[in-house]
Amino acid sequence: MTNDKLSRRRALGVGVAALAFPAASGALAQPAVGRAMPREFNLTLSHVTANITGRRRPAMAINGQIPGPVLRFREGEEVVINVINRLREHTSIHWHGLILPSGQDGVPGISDGFQGIDAGGTHQYRFPLVQAGTYWYHSHSGVQEQSGIYGSIVIDPATPEPFGYDRDYIVQLSDWTDETPSHVIANLKRDPGYYNYNKRTLASLVGELRRAPDGAARSAIVSDRVMWGDMRMDPTDIEDVGGYTYLVNGHTPAQNFTALFRPGETVRLRFINSGAMTHFDVRVPGLEMTVVQAHGNNVRPVTVDEFRIAPAETFDVLVRPRDGRQYQVLAESMGRQGFAQFSLATREGLPALPLPPHRPRPVLTMGDMGMNYGPSGLDRGTPMPEVDAPGHVAPMDMGGMDHSAMQMPAGGSQGMQGQSVGGMNHGNMTGMGHSSMSGMNQPAMPGMDHSSMRGMAPSSMAGMNHGNMPGMNHGSTGAGAMGGMDHGAMAMPDPLVNDVGAPPGARVLSYRNLRAAKPLYPVREPTRIIEIRLTGNMERYFWSINGNSFSQAQPIQLHLGERARFRFVNETMMSHPMHLHGMWMIPQVGNGAENPLLHTVNIKPGSTLDVDIEADAPGGWAFHCHMLYHMETGMMRKVSVVSARQAASAR
Amino acid sequence: MRLVTSIAAVALAVVAVAAQTRPAAADSAYQAFGTRGRAQDVRRTIDIVMRDNSYQPQRIQVRAGETVRFRVRNAGELLHEFNIGTAAMHQQHQREMQAMFDSGMMSATSKDAMAGMDHSRMPGMNHGAMGHGGMNHGAMRHDDPNAVLVDPGKTEEMVFKFTKAISLEFACNIPGHYESGMVGNVTFSR
Amino acid sequence: MKIKSILTAAASAVLAIGALQAAPAHAQAMPHSTEPPFSHEVFTGAVLFEKLEYGWGLDGPNIGRWDGQAWYGGDVNRVWLKTEGETARNGRVESAEIQLLYSRLIGYYWDLQAGVRYDIRPRPDRFYGVIGLQGLAPGMFEVDLQGFVSERGDLSARAEVSYDAYITQRLVLQPNIEANFALQKVPELHVGSGINDIEAGLRLRYEFTREVSPYIGVSYERKLGDTARYARNDGEDVGGWTFMTGIRLFF
Repeated sequence: MTNDKLSRRRALGVGVAALAFPAASGALAQPAVGRAMPREFNLTLSHVTANITGRRRPAMAINGQIPGPVLRFREGEEVVINVINRLREHTSIHWHGLILPSGQDGVPGISDGFQGIDAGGTHQYRFPLVQAGTYWYHSHSGVQEQSGIYGSIVIDPATPEPFGYDRDYIVQLSDWTDETPSHVIANLKRDPGYYNYNKRTLASLVGELRRAPDGAARSAIVSDRVMWGDMRMDPTDIEDVGGYTYLVNGHTPAQNFTALFRPGETVRLRFINSGAMTHFDVRVPGLEMTVVQAHGNNVRPVTVDEFRIAPAETFDVLVRPRDGRQYQVLAESMGRQGFAQFSLATREGLPALPLPPHRPRPVLTMGDMGMNYGPSGLDRGTPMPEVDAPGHVAPMDMGGMDHSAMQMPAGGSQGMQGQSVGGMNHGNMTGMGHSSMSGMNQPAMPGMDHSSMRGMAPSSMAGMNHGNMPGMNHGSTGAGAMGGMDHGAMAMPDPLVNDVGAPPGARVLSYRNLRAAKPLYPVREPTRIIEIRLTGNMERYFWSINGNSFSQAQPIQLHLGERARFRFVNETMMSHPMHLHGMWMIPQVGNGAENPLLHTVNIKPGSTLDVDIEADAPGGWAFHCHMLYHMETGMMRKVSVVSARQAASAR
Repeated sequence: MRLVTSIAAVALAVVAVAAQTRPAAADSAYQAFGTRGRAQDVRRTIDIVMRDNSYQPQRIQVRAGETVRFRVRNAGELLHEFNIGTAAMHQQHQREMQAMFDSGMMSATSKDAMAGMDHSRMPGMNHGAMGHGGMNHGAMRHDDPNAVLVDPGKTEEMVFKFTKAISLEFACNIPGHYESGMVGNVTFSR
Repeated sequence: MKIKSILTAAASAVLAIGALQAAPAHAQAMPHSTEPPFSHEVFTGAVLFEKLEYGWGLDGPNIGRWDGQAWYGGDVNRVWLKTEGETARNGRVESAEIQLLYSRLIGYYWDLQAGVRYDIRPRPDRFYGVIGLQGLAPGMFEVDLQGFVSERGDLSARAEVSYDAYITQRLVLQPNIEANFALQKVPELHVGSGINDIEAGLRLRYEFTREVSPYIGVSYERKLGDTARYARNDGEDVGGWTFMTGIRLFF
């Protein structure tokens, strides 16, 4: 980024002051092979003033730019990165998705021996690169990531990738707020609906009633409102924070970043979601995308029309714009507050194509509540007092199932009367992870089609005794995850399908479509299952894991060399992209040895997902939700990977 | 039963032979832009390297009326195709290739996977749609002048004369390869 | 004048809480630490003046009224400062109280609170011990229940319930009801035993921002039982309608 570029932008009247764009050379990365790259990098963090929306606001930048510079490495080389902290506060830089020694991971207080970088200090990171692909880096101190401390990493492979392309672009999506990030947290803590200007109102009720086709629909609308009010929850609360401007490589939608191509070329787009709080739904009207890498790892190519990218995820896709038309790549925020967008075009300077209207805002349904209707206890949903010991193991034995622990709302699901529907113990059910359910009595369950039960870990559904479940309507088949088991309003969401509101027939990516091209680990049974309940108090805006905020929680201990299964149970109404540092997360999506290797797994509201971890990296690792304000208000843990000898001597 | 099976086998063989001697309709699509070139007209050789799954170079430039020899080397570990055609032709070809893979007629690493296959037990095979100049039971060969299948580690040659300047791509239509970007552009210069 | 100084004292005590949130402008969460040890607990605060209004009595005197709360603390433990009061016809402060409470989250939506209350007016001024329960009840009703024991041993209680009905995204109708009870009669304070008074109000506010919302409303107040008798003996009104305008502050 040079001065003459600055003045040209000013001349264009785009109104961007000092620092709001990326290194243009980084954005237009060539797929060069064999080019020797510098081994040492310097990153200087400083306070800056950014003008992104037209208001000059304080921000933080790396080397004076937002996003920070692209770090281009080569697989196999050793890199040295000097971080110079010219901020007035402590800082740190974490390399998201990189496999490296714990001491180089950059999380103050959790990474071995690392306490962060003092104001005015310098810290040298040094580590070898054992992987290739698209990654990113960001501050792991406070809310600095929201203020601008983030950048991208591209690691060129040592052996050619199993796909070809003519040119590639980094597409780093982010969310910018003019508000000071700590003010945002304060606003949420005193009024969780502070940013929600899409609440259910009397005006919207009147509109809905008028549009309703008949009396039954009208009373359903009214009783739905009453039900949510009774639960003291707001189903329109999809995204916590509002007022964001969504950026692509630091460019606002109006600035319309342009990725140039020549007609007929195959273009690789390295999508990185560096948003603090935003899930994006990405599509290119008129073009299909072939996903070739997920989270830096090669996957078998899968062609889709749209994908949802959660904070911290990366997807590398190939597009092939055959004609010379201008295409607009749209990344619509999940709560439909805005678009991040950029153009694929054959020349620079074209204005953005007109934006389509926003898709309907999602509204939560009872299905998003999973098995938990209304909170109890300090942290939502868990009827049991806090049972969180290091390495807490979920019960493997499912026995009979007893509904008595399950509170049901008035007028909720059909066919399930009262509190106790004998025989179904939901206390142990952990959201229906079926992999360890023994004793299923098939003849007693007419109408239950197991082949269509998506969303369940497919390993063993043997032995669920539904014989003693009176009042449960097994007769009718319903749409959704459990064909044959009609819970009425209590349909269980498929934990992997993303309902992005795409037109029928559109191919939308889910984790199930990701097949690791080169699995790193052989398939084996996990040594134990550790329950990870995602919990939180929306009213007070604090979040936690297993009911304990970070400041109160014990580390989760894993043994070096074991394969632990994290059973995620999302007891909240929000999606949480859960990120484990230092080791790959292998979600059990039914692809056997080809289950994808991810660094961040998005867990949908009310759902359960098993994720295996091969604990082959010793030391302390951060484990947290990558929604920045969730992490900041407590949704984080330390995962300690210790050798068996260490664990034994610790007792 | 045996009588019926033998009659069926004979019928299949007859059809196969007939198909071989007469190029299938789909194949002549290349005639819209080119034809088999003659060795003595070759002015230029273009070297193409195939990898898993990409080409190098990714774009070639030719002139209308020119005869080019393509020397195609497979430097990867998988079977690859070098096929010049329009995007629509490639789409069609991909469907055919997918069917062949599904039925086990081709394998990912060799075009000779078919040696010794007993056709009397393969009912329902639609030879009309095979579109590769008939079915060669000994080895899967592309007899068309606009396409060549190359085993890993081997090099094949193809001589093609471009007669008309239209929008063309060279591509590998083996399932999954085109989407991985194993496609390049043919541009025409004056 | 005395009223001014008392009002100033009460207001500044509440605003002191606001000041704890650091200038400039509105609330800032005390950032959890970026220094070791990295506890990640967030300390923050808020100030809410639900009522800051002037009312024209339709069959009684004009009154000024305020009702404010402020808190500071973490997720579970907080310190609360509450104040409420009324002024009468000639600007005289009829009633003014201030509470200092410790609050603890005991359920998803409920705080248990305990502390002290000091009534500056009416005279004689009095201290009370307070125990209370504040939170959100099913149906989205804001509830504040408090029990008091005065320095003389007199027991009393207060219950307040309100509801925010969003008519549009910014226009909010807030009905509320408040009732005061006393176990023993306290003649020196003109308080009878049983239900002392009930106040029901309906306020319509427009949220220009979440922080500042002007409103108009009506309220009806009624003294009951012995409290009413005391009032009549003093030549005061037993109750009546008021039309008011005011501003709601939340920052």
